[in-house]
Amino acid sequence: MTETTTTVEIGAAAEFPAGAARIVEVDGRKIGVFNCDGDFLAIEDRCSHDDGPLAEGPFDPDTCTVECPRHGSLFDLRTGRPRTLPAYMPVDTFDVRIEDGTVKLEVS
Amino acid sequence: MATPETVTATPGSLEGIKDSYEYGFHDSEKDYIFKAKKGLNRRVVEEISDHKNEPAWMREFRLKALEHFESRPMPKWAGGHMDQIDFQNIHYFVRASEKQGRTWDEVPDDIKNTFDKLGIPEAERKYLAGVGAQYESEVVYHQVREDLEKQGVIFMDMDTALREHEDLVREYWATVIPPNDNKLAALNSAVWSGGSFVYVPPGVHVEMPLQAYFRINTENMGQFERTLIIADEGSFVHYIEGCTAPTYTTDSLHSAVVEIVCKPGSRTRYTTIQNWSHNVYNLVTKRAVAHEGATMEWIDGNLGSKLTMKYPSIYLMGPEAHGEILSIAFAGKGQHQDAGGKCVHVAPHTTSTITSKSISKDGGRASYRGLLEVAPGAVKARSKVVCDALLLDEHSRSDTYPTIRIGEDDVDIGHEATVSKIGEEQLFYLRSRGLSEEEASGMIVGGFIEPFTRELPMEYAVEMNRLIELQMEGSIG
Repeated sequence: MTETTTTVEIGAAAEFPAGAARIVEVDGRKIGVFNCDGDFLAIEDRCSHDDGPLAEGPFDPDTCTVECPRHGSLFDLRTGRPRTLPAYMPVDTFDVRIEDGTVKLEVS
Repeated sequence: MATPETVTATPGSLEGIKDSYEYGFHDSEKDYIFKAKKGLNRRVVEEISDHKNEPAWMREFRLKALEHFESRPMPKWAGGHMDQIDFQNIHYFVRASEKQGRTWDEVPDDIKNTFDKLGIPEAERKYLAGVGAQYESEVVYHQVREDLEKQGVIFMDMDTALREHEDLVREYWATVIPPNDNKLAALNSAVWSGGSFVYVPPGVHVEMPLQAYFRINTENMGQFERTLIIADEGSFVHYIEGCTAPTYTTDSLHSAVVEIVCKPGSRTRYTTIQNWSHNVYNLVTKRAVAHEGATMEWIDGNLGSKLTMKYPSIYLMGPEAHGEILSIAFAGKGQHQDAGGKCVHVAPHTTSTITSKSISKDGGRASYRGLLEVAPGAVKARSKVVCDALLLDEHSRSDTYPTIRIGEDDVDIGHEATVSKIGEEQLFYLRSRGLSEEEASGMIVGGFIEPFTRELPMEYAVEMNRLIELQMEGSIG
């Protein structure tokens, strides 16, 4: 089986400052994109605890974590793994790259 | 927990017992150091933080938690009782003593007398490795055996731990129960005060129990202790908590958060004998994580309070971790015991047992609310859930709300539930052996909760049986 990858342009890197976060929708799937001090990271916008939204929660660029707004699990944006309960399952992560000054998200 | 030395009734006998709640007395507040005005707002939270001279991160944690508390709706699923709580009619912080005693002589006389009546100093001398005594919002006495301190065991109140072991506290703080886990955890996170901090180094076995005792004295008081226990690799600790309060015509609130981390190969037992007066709302969040090969045991007895909502949880995060929850609830007149437990199997070869026993009488209501969850990949997980309810009359009520979610095929899960009444034949048989009807009923109830009492240290089992007898007073005729 061949896996297809979709590349989505998020916008100009210059307009996506450190500490900023955006939620984009790709093929009906919501994904949170975060700028951790120049390091662009993306995870699915779904808390594995109860499938509620995740990426709109408080984002801490110092620790590269996002906190589930519903029950407070802290997710590591690099690995997708929860650092605190009540969530215990990881969520999907995605590659983000900067090309010609544009932030590009790769969704497979 | 009262001392075993106060035991006067022989098992099965109810003679001479007039007052069914003997801890309902209260002390004078004339020598109190500080009592916050009633009500909850940002200023009260800042005031608590100021009194404790806390680091900035804790102050921010509190204020953020207050926002969570204010933004969350009140849970509706416990019969609507929680809507009756007036959160603006509560004192959120009361300091009864200037400093904490390391000997009982350093504790103010009134407070020491109360703990004497409850039997704590005597119990400490006889069979405990350490004691923490919380009175109102703060711990007024704390002591741990010197030999344990030399082995690196830390047992102190949470306020002191935050000052003396800030890095260790911060590493684990709210990792098991985040502040917005639920509305009451958010409340505790905003206004917490007191509670215990326990750290047991790798390989150290604390053979005698550590005990914490929580006492509310003030009317319309809120007690919000925070407990964090870390059992490092291969260690063992048994922590016991007890609690009582005066009987008032208005309500008080107790809302604790207890977090436990069981590192690989360790074992933690947490025993609760909850005996609040019947005007206390007891809304507690307790959760533990058990890593590879670790064992976590919640032994949870609920006799007192107006409404208890408490579901001790265990997340089995590492292979071959084991969880045990043994819960009993006794709901008498005007009481609702909404108790239970949760086990979440995250790793393979994990095992758990949840045993719930409830007794309802005089119109009381006991509920079992539980969760058993097996995550995908937790192969060979095994769990057994048993819920038994005993109804002592036709006015009382028992409910069971079990939830089971299985995300893995290769598991072994069992669930059994029974509801029963005391049978005429049982009573007839026991009466034919010379017991009165009251004695016979007491004996049947004692047998029903025997799986719980046999897990208690002997002194506590004696006390537990006595408390059950008090609850059974006047149950016949």
